[in-house]
Amino acid sequence: MNRSPIFSRGTVFAAAVLCWAILQVGCSAVLVASYDETTDRLLTDLSQKTETAVVRADAGQLSAQDQETFFSESLGTVRTLKARSALFAKNEDEIAALAQLEQRFEALQKHGAPPRTSLTTGLRGTLLDLQQIQIAKKRSSVFSAGLKKSSSKP
Amino acid sequence: MSINISQLIQSMLGAATGAAKGHGEDLKNYLEARAKLIAEGAAAIASDRLEGKINDDDVTFAFDQIKESEKSAAAAVSVTLKAAAQDAINAALNVAASAINTAVGVAIL
Repeated sequence: MNRSPIFSRGTVFAAAVLCWAILQVGCSAVLVASYDETTDRLLTDLSQKTETAVVRADAGQLSAQDQETFFSESLGTVRTLKARSALFAKNEDEIAALAQLEQRFEALQKHGAPPRTSLTTGLRGTLLDLQQIQIAKKRSSVFSAGLKKSSSKP
Repeated sequence: MSINISQLIQSMLGAATGAAKGHGEDLKNYLEARAKLIAEGAAAIASDRLEGKINDDDVTFAFDQIKESEKSAAAAVSVTLKAAAQDAINAALNVAASAINTAVGVAIL
């Protein structure tokens, strides 16, 4: 038996397109992990401690004891950050950058020389990279909050 | 009320471009800061070596560490580009949602 369709092909196609659009709009794109204020604060503290140690090393004022304390405390902070970052989805780039930061600190500690400006450019570069990651996440988080606010307006 | 497709595309593109623009400026500032850090580091390596404050092994170590740090630089650029794409897509979707709501006369989305 040949049944006549209730809806034309065009109507079905238009409905499918509309459903697809609604589904797309209903769920926002998430490509990076959300901004984490604690990670940002720990990184800022670590950068500040590193810059202080570098200034003291350049001035010949960082004792062997202070140097060892600086490396052990810094590695403790980096490992805390690594554990925390692994809790967030879509955070692979940050986890990789933190693994790099851990390697930078370990290499410098193993090398044994004071953390002078000349020896810490790689380390400070990786710290800068992680700060840029926080800046990008924060900008995105502020932008998403603005979108939610504007779309919830009646 | 029907949707004007060409007008909607223009609005979506405008919203997406605006959303990505801030990340573009951040990326420029970051790359400048990173280039400055490496340049100053290279100058410090040369100066410390000339003054005998570091030896040849230190120079090799310092430069290897700079090269290694490019891996985390790639991660920073990757996150910035992903965040820019995310904001651009969501801005465009937000415009599309508003257009659908206006067209149907009810705030469905």
